[in-house]
Amino acid sequence: MDFELTPEEKEYQQELREFLEKEVNPGVVAETESLKGLGPHGKELIRKMGERQLLAPSWPEIYGGRSLSHIAEGIMFEEMGYFQGPWPLDGLVIGHTLMRFGSEAQKDKYLTGIARGEIEFGLGYTEPEAGSDLASVQIRAVNKGDEYIINGQKTFNTETHYADYHWLLSRTDPEVPKHKGLSIFIVDVKSPGITVSPLYTSSGLRTNEVFYEDVHVPKDNLLGEENHGWEYAGSAIGFERILWIGDLKHRFDQLVDFLRDDDRYQNIVNEKPWILDELAEIKTQIHIAALLSYKAAAVYDEGTQLVYESSLSKLYASELRQHMFNIFMQILGHYGELTTDSKWSPLNGWVSQEYVDSCRWTIIGGSSEIQRYIMALRGLRLPRK
Amino acid sequence: MNFGLSEEQEMLRSAARDFLTDKCPKKLVREMEQDEQGYPAKLWQQMADLGWMGLAFPEKYGGSDMSFLDLAVLLEETGRACLPGPFFSTVLLGGLPILDAGTEEQKREYLPRIASGKAIFTLALTEASAGYDAASIQLSATPDNNGFTLNGTKLFVSDAHVADYLLCAARTGDRGKPEDGITVFIVDASLPGISITPLKTIARDKKCEVSFNRVRVPGANILGKLDEGWSVIQKALEMASVAKCCEMVGGMQAVLEMTVEHAKQRVQFGVAIGTFQAIQHHCANILTAVDSSKVITHEAAWKISRGLPCTETAAMAKSWVSEAYRQAVKLGTQVHGGVGIMEDHDMSLYFRRAKAAELAFGDARFHRKTISRGLNLQAV
Repeated sequence: MDFELTPEEKEYQQELREFLEKEVNPGVVAETESLKGLGPHGKELIRKMGERQLLAPSWPEIYGGRSLSHIAEGIMFEEMGYFQGPWPLDGLVIGHTLMRFGSEAQKDKYLTGIARGEIEFGLGYTEPEAGSDLASVQIRAVNKGDEYIINGQKTFNTETHYADYHWLLSRTDPEVPKHKGLSIFIVDVKSPGITVSPLYTSSGLRTNEVFYEDVHVPKDNLLGEENHGWEYAGSAIGFERILWIGDLKHRFDQLVDFLRDDDRYQNIVNEKPWILDELAEIKTQIHIAALLSYKAAAVYDEGTQLVYESSLSKLYASELRQHMFNIFMQILGHYGELTTDSKWSPLNGWVSQEYVDSCRWTIIGGSSEIQRYIMALRGLRLPRK
Repeated sequence: MNFGLSEEQEMLRSAARDFLTDKCPKKLVREMEQDEQGYPAKLWQQMADLGWMGLAFPEKYGGSDMSFLDLAVLLEETGRACLPGPFFSTVLLGGLPILDAGTEEQKREYLPRIASGKAIFTLALTEASAGYDAASIQLSATPDNNGFTLNGTKLFVSDAHVADYLLCAARTGDRGKPEDGITVFIVDASLPGISITPLKTIARDKKCEVSFNRVRVPGANILGKLDEGWSVIQKALEMASVAKCCEMVGGMQAVLEMTVEHAKQRVQFGVAIGTFQAIQHHCANILTAVDSSKVITHEAAWKISRGLPCTETAAMAKSWVSEAYRQAVKLGTQVHGGVGIMEDHDMSLYFRRAKAAELAFGDARFHRKTISRGLNLQAV
């Protein structure tokens, strides 16, 4: 057992922190807090990170990484979250799956671009009838020999409006059991026939419906083998599911600093003695959430089979998030109700936005119910119905 | 014991529900969130014509002589409908306090106008400390010829931007306990020196900053007695807390129905998701929240309507329902999955309102403090 980072991991963490402290400017933060996706400041930041091989530390050097561990990858996500860098960066999430199952041509074409922050991917999983039941994906890709023609619809695809490529899970065989007829395509988002239409959550996050109308996709854009898409998606989702808590740590620190420093609030801790107890518990939970996320990442370094570790990380961190922002709202009382542009808003009103936004985290990326199901079935081997 | 409504109350409920379903659709609710005034004048007048504002006023003041419990039934329906506008403020933060503490002259002056929809009221209570204790009241009222001069700032005043009158809690005396030396004034909102700024809030519910800069108010406008306003405030807060619980119960019921319907309709893995035990448990938990909230809220409203003391019951209601509603919307959102978090889904209307209601008139911990004092465990 060892809770220390390796010297290489520490060095990477130090270099990354120094970079982010210097380079994350108010423009980047404003874009992140707007929840509208990757903007020009964010793009500039990740490009600079890519130049310094800071974006994909666990990737091989030939693709722009540093051949470090998945723990280092976790450090990247955590520090980006802490410094309010752009999120999500799904190219980084699917990178390992691409490395495992992609053709040499695909790896050459995409991996370096992702690691250099020059190209972005957007996940294309969810459909109106395929949420938790992802295997029910219906968007249809018909094999025409040297290309596929794709028709159908995706929804809640959050990165598509700024991505270069759509990581598309689609049905290539409607005759077999659902999960055996799926394939993953890498689709150029600028392909004729693709329409991206915005949707907004109650916290103002931009996501999208994506319509495919007779979209021609070259067969070289198929990932791996036809009808093996479920396996590939599973591999990608396992890693994507790990929730990194850098942003929660940051918000916690911001709130505590605020309570300590702001004149209006000098008395609030004295007036509400429960605050200290709640904050102590939240601090503990954030720390544990971080450990759980690293523990899940460590599975990838050990090369063992992921069982339920990423599900637990996701479940724990998402429920903590909701609890934390609820407590923050209660601490601020009526002031917490004020939204961003109110004159009296403490902390620029981010508390109320984070509170509203926190709802989706137990739903996206696999709902809490699904995570508990995975933990019960795979973790505990409880019987299937 | 009887936990049900009377036949008249059932009729009141169903008439109110039909009216609001027709005249206050969610599309209107969303429009009013963005609208500066925040409510349509036509709807306001229709509600007045139905006798809603004066429901619990005696007939001689233009009311219908019905009870607080009858008003509670109506408030549940307004909560269900997410009714926009100053109905709650006018009745609970203006009308009922005047009915409770006003002179005969004041009642004749204001209550009929409230009942006919011609006067909008609200209560200017909380200040920068955002607290509901007596010590938080610092806005000063200094004697001045035949009246008083008010100086200070109130925050989070609901509907001040459209109010004709503000009941303003001010400090007229500084000796002894903070509860002593508080006076409530009926303040004409158009008086010089009053400046009102709407605040942007999570529920988009038109809370305002109200600053008083040398506002001169006549002595005749004291509600209750000089320096003895705290008891007026306490009574008002008690009724407002219970009334807020009624709104919350109505909202919670809507959340429960929406969620169960979704669980029956939404198919994943080849079955309605309501087949899954996890979803069933979520729905049962929302039902628990609804029913537990109903009984305590109804008991508190019943006690108020009977003129029985209900300080502890009101505190129990507000503390319990505040948390229950939050949990209910949380579970309701969760069951709805991706669609429930979208801006244009009705769930988000209830979600945001639940948080505002939780914090109104004291949050759960504030009211549990009241209850805990009754345990006599604290060192004096």
